[in-house]
Amino acid sequence: MKALLIEIRREFWEHRALWMAPLAIAVVLLLAGAVFGHAWLDIHDGHGLQDGDGLPHLYQLVLLGWAVPFYLAAAILASAYLLDCLYAERRDRSILFWRSMPVSDARTVLVKLLVGLVIVPLGTYALAAVTSVLASAILVLRNHGLLIGHGLLINAPGVIPWSTPAWLQMQGYMLYGLSAALLWYAPLAAYLLLISVWARRSPYAWAFIPPVLLVIFEHLEFGTNYVGRILDGSFGELLHLAYRFDAAGAGASVQLGRGAQQLALTPLRLLASPRLAWGLLAAALMIAAAIRLRRYRDDS
Amino acid sequence: MATIADAQQITATGPIIEAKELSKRYGHFVALDRVSFSLRAGRIVGMIGRNGAGKTTALKAILGLTSCEGSVRVFGLDPARQRNALMSDVCFIADAAVLPRWLSVEHAIDYVAGVHPRFDRKRAEAVLATTNIRRRSRIGELSKGMITQLHLTLILAINARLLVLDEPTLGLDLIYRRQFYDTLLSDYFDKERTILLTTHQVEEVENLLTDVLFIDRGQVVLDATLDQLAARFVQLNVATGKIDAARELKPFHVRTLFGKTIMLFEDRPAESFAGLGEVRTPGVADLFAAKIQAAAP
Repeated sequence: MKALLIEIRREFWEHRALWMAPLAIAVVLLLAGAVFGHAWLDIHDGHGLQDGDGLPHLYQLVLLGWAVPFYLAAAILASAYLLDCLYAERRDRSILFWRSMPVSDARTVLVKLLVGLVIVPLGTYALAAVTSVLASAILVLRNHGLLIGHGLLINAPGVIPWSTPAWLQMQGYMLYGLSAALLWYAPLAAYLLLISVWARRSPYAWAFIPPVLLVIFEHLEFGTNYVGRILDGSFGELLHLAYRFDAAGAGASVQLGRGAQQLALTPLRLLASPRLAWGLLAAALMIAAAIRLRRYRDDS
Repeated sequence: MATIADAQQITATGPIIEAKELSKRYGHFVALDRVSFSLRAGRIVGMIGRNGAGKTTALKAILGLTSCEGSVRVFGLDPARQRNALMSDVCFIADAAVLPRWLSVEHAIDYVAGVHPRFDRKRAEAVLATTNIRRRSRIGELSKGMITQLHLTLILAINARLLVLDEPTLGLDLIYRRQFYDTLLSDYFDKERTILLTTHQVEEVENLLTDVLFIDRGQVVLDATLDQLAARFVQLNVATGKIDAARELKPFHVRTLFGKTIMLFEDRPAESFAGLGEVRTPGVADLFAAKIQAAAP
């Protein structure tokens, strides 16, 4: 356990952006919140909110909006990390030092997968959750009145921006969504690790150009798009599998705002999806290949 | 799977490293050509050869870092397949300049202490305190000599049974090199441990080696203990007028230095040199140079 912790810390020593960038985002957003002090939402149908019933749900939209920059950053950071980590140790030849330690290749690769696929996203999620409390506190303190009209909502004392059940429910939804995304994007993470351990130079080019060329080739040659559909890590399909949206409304954001209870979690539907199963199988194979490559390749 | 404990049974009697018929090619280049050798515990073995002679490839085979034809056993285990089991007993420095530049000295110690069950943190810190290396520095800020020093400090604080050093003092100045070899002998080496090192600065290590292994063009040219060297090889500083008589004994190497003729002989009875000149035990460096030249096609 002690060894695992130090191996994880090692990754954050090397790739400092993994913790510095989310912290920087948190600081910037909190400062912005403290200076401007309002949550702004574009509401097309504000009438239903005046009774206050819908306000906790609007608050949940604020929470989602707060978390989005963090999640985007986590996705970019984790991808860049996974693509670089096993390439960097060969580039600076430090692999000879790492491999002189009693840490197996399988363990090294799996720790990097753990960091990129689980720890960075979950850590960023936790940071977004904690800072959303601070942001809510800032909103409460700066709060001076409720205005609904001309599509703008500014929060009001006593109604929002704090509702413990709404906060907990939204964090639960997001944590669930994040866990689903981890499984869903595991093959992408494994692919990036495999390219990282395999590429002799420019892992970025190797990661992106061949799949794009393959899709173009298929389109020109056969006029089909099977490869594209396989490679497309469709976020829409993930949402469709992981959640059920019941409400029929004007726009997606308003549906969520009108009632998060209309949003059902469908983990079984996701877990039963053949696409997820194939994806996880592909991930396992690519990780096994990455371990083998690190183990047996001799180009130091 | 065999463990180190099982392997100890083997090493109590047999060699700790046994290489048989090792061969390795890189394209057309033959790095190792059916090389066989073995190492016993408690020895300090110098693997000596020119650049490209195959030393590093042989070390990599021992460490399981490359695959070769033939067989190699370290503590009775196959390093290519059972590397994980070996690595807590085998320590190595494959190249001194490979500590990652982004790592701080402090974190380097934390890391090794965290992952290596046999690392003695106090010892590493005590050694480090005698140097100019600051704990908070990043490795990228250190001079090459300091990086090597740090690497050696980390590795020497690990209580491993086999230590493999590939050109450990490359880039160090004379004082550090001396210090390093003194430390290696006085603090690290004992009868339980084995050290296998490569170097091309033969003169500096010949006093500390117990065994030498000369490698040239992928082949073992000489494998002997220092005691055997003294028994097998003779350096004759030929007396004036005795050159032809000495040549009759068929030296494998002859050179002339400041007008004096120096001959090297292998496996000649000591009494045959009577009256021919001054008889000595050749230095390892001289012997190496002579052997390599004698083996040249």
